[in-house]
Amino acid sequence: MENLHELEITEKAISWIKFNKKVVLATVISTWGSSPFRTGTKMIINEEGDFLGSVSGGCVEANVIEESIELLKNNYQFKKLEFNVSDENAWNLGLACGGNISVYIEKIN
Amino acid sequence: MKIEILQEIVKKKSSKKRFAVLKNLTNGKSELFEVGSPLSDELNVHKKDIENYYNLQKNGIINETNIFIENYTKPIEVIIVGAVHIAQYLIDFSKNLNLMITIIDPREYFTKKQTFKNVKIINEWPEKILEQLQSNNNSALITLTHDPKIDDPALQFALKNKFFYIGALGSKKTHEKRCQRLKDSGHTKEQIDSIHGPIGLKLGGKSATEIALSIIAQLVLEINKLKI
Repeated sequence: MENLHELEITEKAISWIKFNKKVVLATVISTWGSSPFRTGTKMIINEEGDFLGSVSGGCVEANVIEESIELLKNNYQFKKLEFNVSDENAWNLGLACGGNISVYIEKIN
Repeated sequence: MKIEILQEIVKKKSSKKRFAVLKNLTNGKSELFEVGSPLSDELNVHKKDIENYYNLQKNGIINETNIFIENYTKPIEVIIVGAVHIAQYLIDFSKNLNLMITIIDPREYFTKKQTFKNVKIINEWPEKILEQLQSNNNSALITLTHDPKIDDPALQFALKNKFFYIGALGSKKTHEKRCQRLKDSGHTKEQIDSIHGPIGLKLGGKSATEIALSIIAQLVLEINKLKI
C-alpha cells in the first residue's frame, strides 16, 4: 500500500514554513536487505529539532535529525546520508534490522 | 525542494490524481510529472526511463541516473453500503490508508443524523446510484445493512463490474441465504464464492470496533494481493 502519512507530513512542512521555521525534508531514496521501510518514506525536521514521520522505524532517526539541523546551519541545499551495517557508526545507531538505507536530506525553501 | 512543489503535491493528492515527483539528486531540484506533462530539459534526456518507472509504479533511483522517482498512486475506491455504527469505525481505521470512501444508504435517518468525517455520503438506493459512480475493478464494496433489499442490488452490481473486493456483513446463516438469492438471480458459483462472507478476518471480536478492524484488515490483505 502507499506510504501512510505523506499528506500529513507535507501539510505540516508547509505550515512550519508559514510560521517562518526552517525545514528539512528527509526521504529514503534506496534500501538494501531488510530495511524496515520502503523507498519514498519521509520525515521532516525543523531547526528546533521537532520532527514528524520517520525513515527507519527508529534506527537512524537521531542521526538524520542531527544532520538536518547541521544542514540548516550551512550553505548546502542537500546531502545524501548512507547508513549501513558494515559501518561501525550504523551499529552504534542501532540499525538492528541488518539492512542499508540511503536518506536524502534537503532544505525546503 | 521548493515549497511550491509541496503545495502542488497537496493539491494533486486532494484531487485524487495519479502523479510522480522526480528529484534530481545531483542538484536537489524537484519537479512533478504526470502522463503527457513536459519534463525539464535536464530530465527530458531520461524521458523513456522515467515513463517506464511511472508506468510500472516503481519508486527509487532510476538505473544509471541520479534521478529519484516517487509515484503517488490514485486512492482505492471503497463503497460502503449502510451508514451504520461499523461504518464509523471503518472510517477511523482507514485514515492514512489511501482509500477513498463513499457511503450509500437509502435510509435518511442514518445518513442525515450521523456525522461522518472526510467521506462522501449518498442518501440513495444503491441500484440508483452505483451506475453513476465511476467504479471499476479497482473498487471495493462492503455491505453492512444485512437487509437484502439494500445489500443485494449492490452485491449484484459489484459482481457484474468485477470489483476486486466484495464483502458482506452477516452471520453464516444470513450469508447462506444471500448466496441462494444470488444463485437464483443467475450468478455463478465462482462469482458468489468471491464474496467475503461473513466479512472480515477472523479476529474473534464481536464489538463494532473489532468487526470494523477485521474488515479493514481483510481489505488491506486483498489490496496487497493485487500488487504481488
